[in-house]
Amino acid sequence: MSKKIKANIISISVSVLLTFLITVLVLLIIGKNPAEVFIMMFEDVFGSGYGFGQTLFKATPLIICGCGLAICFHASLFNIGAEGQLNAGAFVTALVAFALSNAGFLIAVPAALICGFIVSGALGLVPAVIKVKKGVSEVITTIMMNFIILASINFFLIDFFAVKSTVHTEKIPDGIMISKMSDLLPGFQGSSLNLTFVFAILMAVATYFFIYKTKTGYKIRSVGFNETASRYMGIKTNRIVMLAFFIGSGLTSFVGMNFIMGYKGYYEFGFSNNLGFTAIAVALLAKNNPIGIIFSALLFGFLDYGGLAVNTLVPKEIMFVIQGIVILTILSVDKLVEKYYLK
Amino acid sequence: MRLFTPYYLGANAANFSERSGVINIAIEGFIIISALGYALFTIFSGSAIVGLVMAVLISVSFSLLFSLFVIKLKINQIVAGVGFNLLMAGLAKFLIVFLFQSSSNTPRFNSLPNIFFLESIPYLGKVLSDYIILFSFALVFISNFVLFKTKFGLRLRSVGENPEAGESLGIKVRLYKLYGVIICGFLASLGGIWLASNQNSFSDGMIAGRGYIAIAAMIIGKWKPVNIFIACMMFAFFEALEISLQISGTFIPSQIVQMLPYMITLLVLIGFIGKTKPPAADGIPY
Repeated sequence: MSKKIKANIISISVSVLLTFLITVLVLLIIGKNPAEVFIMMFEDVFGSGYGFGQTLFKATPLIICGCGLAICFHASLFNIGAEGQLNAGAFVTALVAFALSNAGFLIAVPAALICGFIVSGALGLVPAVIKVKKGVSEVITTIMMNFIILASINFFLIDFFAVKSTVHTEKIPDGIMISKMSDLLPGFQGSSLNLTFVFAILMAVATYFFIYKTKTGYKIRSVGFNETASRYMGIKTNRIVMLAFFIGSGLTSFVGMNFIMGYKGYYEFGFSNNLGFTAIAVALLAKNNPIGIIFSALLFGFLDYGGLAVNTLVPKEIMFVIQGIVILTILSVDKLVEKYYLK
Repeated sequence: MRLFTPYYLGANAANFSERSGVINIAIEGFIIISALGYALFTIFSGSAIVGLVMAVLISVSFSLLFSLFVIKLKINQIVAGVGFNLLMAGLAKFLIVFLFQSSSNTPRFNSLPNIFFLESIPYLGKVLSDYIILFSFALVFISNFVLFKTKFGLRLRSVGENPEAGESLGIKVRLYKLYGVIICGFLASLGGIWLASNQNSFSDGMIAGRGYIAIAAMIIGKWKPVNIFIACMMFAFFEALEISLQISGTFIPSQIVQMLPYMITLLVLIGFIGKTKPPAADGIPY
């Protein structure tokens, strides 16, 4: 095992441990018994097929969105716009799926997903083009785009597409819904877990191969590592920046599959609940490694559902605090490991 | 006219930080945490002044923590900023539910005292009697003076433009960056305090992206206090327009007005409306 991999393992485990300790401390400060909280959480998550299913269900969009972001991050593109991109993609996915619902599952679902991908990807291209042509940092543009996209969706949804006096689109027919996991494994009875989870795992594996085993993936990492050197090596860096942004943002749209086709059957404004930001934490914790992202997404899914489970003891909003703490600990522990272990 | 206050405080906060070369995209979080701090301490102590002091202290301590990350540990400022934003927004969400068993807002509390004898002036009374609004107007001159006419400002800017050159002249680069970040925390906290004091309650989502609009105003204002002032006035005008559109219910959708500040910022960044140039060493750890 190379020293670099060892360093990664050390910093990830230390960060998780540190976050755990800080959480315990927070619980003690607010006068709760940490042991009680964690036992209740574990019992709920692992005690029933339902709880476990819900945890996996919550992890699914995080895996998808985390993989998309990882591609951007590997190219050193700090895409904070996932929240907007994935909403736009999911919105279009729902509309297309509904419009094509007579064409049957095999046409409607792929068509809807592809359209969602293109819309999210195209929205990701905007900051990429601005960065390439004008040298403007993608951070600022993606933040601005988030607000613009969400306001636009809100406008189109409420004025044109929403079912009267709701904030969601028309429900797609059952024929183009994705099977619930409980249809195959009755143990998950009642949980919203659906086949999108399997899709997400396959997507993570595919993303892993794309980033680490293909030429394009290599170029993306090379541009992320040192853009100037890559350009002198003959890599068309501008094209790579745009490609990474397009694919990365496009992939985030697939979260719509989990919510729309796997769960509710329609796009609902606010369904993402800051998913695009949580996925940043997921990708960072996994060091942008798609296989690692599966595990960090599971951890966040566990926190998310577990948070709901212990809501009677501690408000579930504590999970937002923990997310912030995870990002900050992984950042600082990383630097310290780099400083004292790798030197 | 009053609506420009939080934007201008936030934009100046961001500007002092960026002038010293530290990008702080966590302005939103700083505003949220100070608004909450003001709310909590005003409610529990019964005194708006205690609330004010504690909110400033909380925001400044978070900015010290932020500088530990970005100046001492040299962590990527943007990633750290995202982390701080999530942490502070999360803390606010959590504390409201935990302390008040309500997921939306705090009980009502007092606003800051006003300058009473000015309150009766017609039209302008509400503006002239508010300390923080008056301070924001004064800030146009104060910021300009501090940044461009004092030794401190010159050093702060040199640290943001070319830290190596500054270092070679004996300027303590990291110390000046620290000053920049602390001033940032202080000004952002005033923005949050004003918002909370003005609404007499704190609710989740009340900041509503004002921290980001402030950053947008700073960019459009080209990192210059006077131009930033104009940009903030423009955004405040949009906000007022949006509110009146919502009330009157005309054919112009309020969402379009809502996104205008961001649209304009994008266009400015692309270069349609004049060129902008950030401090040369902005965002680079030293």
